[in-house]
Amino acid sequence: MSTTACAPGLPEVAGIDKHTRVVGWLKVALPLAALAILSTLFLVADRIDPEDALPYAEVDVEELAREPRMTAPSYAGTTSDGAALTLTAEEARPEATDTPAEARGLRLDLDTPDGARTELHAATAVMDDAAKQVVLSGGVKVTTSSGYVLDTPEIAAQLDRSGLESRGEVRAKGPAGDIVAGGMTLSQDNVTPGAYLLVFTQGVRLVYLPGGAGP
Amino acid sequence: QQATIAFGDLEQDTSQPVEVTADQLAVNNADGSAVFSGNVQVKQGEMTLAAAKVDVRYGTDQSQIKELLASGGVTITNLADKASAEEAVYTIETGVIVLTGNVQLAQAGSTMQGQKLTINLKDGTGIMEGRVTTTFVPGGN
Repeated sequence: MSTTACAPGLPEVAGIDKHTRVVGWLKVALPLAALAILSTLFLVADRIDPEDALPYAEVDVEELAREPRMTAPSYAGTTSDGAALTLTAEEARPEATDTPAEARGLRLDLDTPDGARTELHAATAVMDDAAKQVVLSGGVKVTTSSGYVLDTPEIAAQLDRSGLESRGEVRAKGPAGDIVAGGMTLSQDNVTPGAYLLVFTQGVRLVYLPGGAGP
Repeated sequence: QQATIAFGDLEQDTSQPVEVTADQLAVNNADGSAVFSGNVQVKQGEMTLAAAKVDVRYGTDQSQIKELLASGGVTITNLADKASAEEAVYTIETGVIVLTGNVQLAQAGSTMQGQKLTINLKDGTGIMEGRVTTTFVPGGN
């Protein structure tokens, strides 16, 4: 039952009723609770590090500026006898005053008009404009469509006409067996103009295992 | 007429590796046909075939050599016997060498001429054909 809040009797004043007391306490407790909840909003939240907002590229800018280079360049042309020549590399540096143009991780494809395709992979290559050739070095692997896979330290590839010439010993795996030769050239056959000859020179040794294909 | 002869030792194993050495090997880039040239030597076991030029004939696929066509003067030596001719065809699987063009065969003190000599390496026999003439050296070496 509700008691009348008035001032007549002393016990009424002293014993203010339960409801008022509870409201009085709540008026203090509730704002405090609100304050506490509000503060957790900032305490618990995860720290945002303004530093890694923008990921910077760690590239040596000075070096890039000092040495102009092209990445994944490709050069395509046709030779005088109609063969399509394409050179692609991972990275190339154009010719500077003292250094010739050079490339790294080079691949050369020669599609000769007789329908054959020869592919060369080399670690490094240096362009020699005077002799119109590119010298591939650092170990060259040559694969021909006639089934030969050759390894030789260095090869000079003509750019104006289709002609490859190895400088150094050649080890090859032919369809019939293994071949070791002093050198190798791939060029147009002067007897029959349309044909191209892969010629192993300076002494050739072929080992053929009858029955099984070469070891 | 014909004369049969023994040539080299018997049961020459024709599955032994064939080793070809020459000054130069030219491979046609399109069809892969190969030609050895410049004092070519084909060695297999005891048999050595020397010629100026040897064409390689592949079998059905490129990994099998069917025949070697030697030309420009061929000499074949097998142990003590020696045969020479203008041309020779060596079929590797069957181990048969056919020499043609004024064939000369020198064997232990006797020489024989003819037009065609067929040597079977497997059983070491040979058949000389065409105007066979044999000269013996009585009491020779």
